[in-house]
Amino acid sequence: MIRLLTLDDYDPKQIEKLCNALYTAFGVGCESAKVPMPSGVGDPVDARKLLDQVQTVRAYADDKLLYLLHKRLKDRELPSGTVPTHGYAWYGKDRAVVTTHGVKNLEEGLKRVTRSAMHQLGHLWDLHHCLDPRCSMYPPWTPSFANGEPIFCTFDREKSEQKIRLAKS
Amino acid sequence: MTDSAPEFSLAVGDRVVYPNQGVCRVFNVDTHEVAGQKLTFVSMRREEDGAVVMVPTTKVQSIGLRKLASHDQVAKLFTFLSSDSDKADLDWKQRARTNVDRMTQGGIHGLAEVVKGLQVLSELRPLPTKERELYDNARHLLVSEIAASLSISECDAEDAIDFVLSPPGKERPKRTAEEFKQPSAADEGLELGSDLEALGGELELPPDEEAEPAEAESAEGEEAVEAEAEEEETPSARRPKKAGAKKGAPANGHPGAKRERAKSKPKAAEPSKAKAEPKARAAKLSAAKPDVKSKRKHSASRPAKATARRKK
Repeated sequence: MIRLLTLDDYDPKQIEKLCNALYTAFGVGCESAKVPMPSGVGDPVDARKLLDQVQTVRAYADDKLLYLLHKRLKDRELPSGTVPTHGYAWYGKDRAVVTTHGVKNLEEGLKRVTRSAMHQLGHLWDLHHCLDPRCSMYPPWTPSFANGEPIFCTFDREKSEQKIRLAKS
Repeated sequence: MTDSAPEFSLAVGDRVVYPNQGVCRVFNVDTHEVAGQKLTFVSMRREEDGAVVMVPTTKVQSIGLRKLASHDQVAKLFTFLSSDSDKADLDWKQRARTNVDRMTQGGIHGLAEVVKGLQVLSELRPLPTKERELYDNARHLLVSEIAASLSISECDAEDAIDFVLSPPGKERPKRTAEEFKQPSAADEGLELGSDLEALGGELELPPDEEAEPAEAESAEGEEAVEAEAEEEETPSARRPKKAGAKKGAPANGHPGAKRERAKSKPKAAEPSKAKAEPKARAAKLSAAKPDVKSKRKHSASRPAKATARRKK
């Protein structure tokens, strides 16, 4: 089960559309809820801190929690440079965060947000970055990422389906 | 059996990398009796999923077990990944062999070479399924080792790798086959010709099989052409090509049989267009190499033998 947890106020209709898109992409049920923003995560928000401190909502052990917020995420300092952060995930674990920063209207930018959400959820199901620019697992800082369709390439789709099939719940 | 001392000693708590498996942590080193022999085993647990592996200390070196990459090695790795790529090998067989070696014995640098090489190749054309899987495995092992080595999350490690492989604001370049071409292409053609010559010289058809249906042969010939067109096929797809070459070879080295076939089945002579190219190559080669000529003489003497047998 995917749990879409909003940290800011969003239009419920748009959130429902996003849930439907994620359900279509993964074939797993998607529910939404609102949780409070933890304090001390800064502005721009430190994604690592946020995932450490944020409240969880869970029914099953394999639930994947996707947090959605409107604030900008802080760029991360990595050994190879400073990476722009549109989202962050605990690889192969249970929680990820996606920002809608830069998307004025969720209705218009739904495709882009769905693609980012699929990317981070893909990391939760052990998917790595992909070589195919059309795939949602393509590196998110590339210019073509924002304009792409929310789809997976065949390899990633099969891999995620396999992981979901192996889930305990 | 006596245990020889390994080059690096392993103690409980050490983090090591098991080739093709990933980062493991040693949790026990003790002696077990196996088939009447006392062997010292290193027991380790894979960090990813907790799978337990036991390795005799004598095999530690030979299986390629190594210590986790140091910070310096990782820094060098990023330099390598950000450097201009060398051209990928277009010969799938050679590439597969090299990549397997790199995965097992190449260390962290070998993993990076596999990832980079396949990424460069994917800029020319989409990777075949097997290589896509290999790419994914190599990337997974690389990410987990970098994450363990630098004590960062796997998501950060992956982003660090991709930050240098596909820098922000840039799309991946599209490459052409010309960029990957190697100068020794002409030599390869000669080698293929000599191979065909050798086959032609060795094959000998019994007299009752001379008038085999040529249609089957022509189908094989077509397959061979198709296989040539698809360079990136699996080994199983390549096999028919060789079989086709073998079956096609007697026609080259057996002029008598060919004549008979042409008489009995005039239509069957048409599809042998596929053979025209190897024939031409063989003719070129025979003009270029005197030692191959002698082989041809030998093969030409075969029909005489066959007719002699038939007379008997």
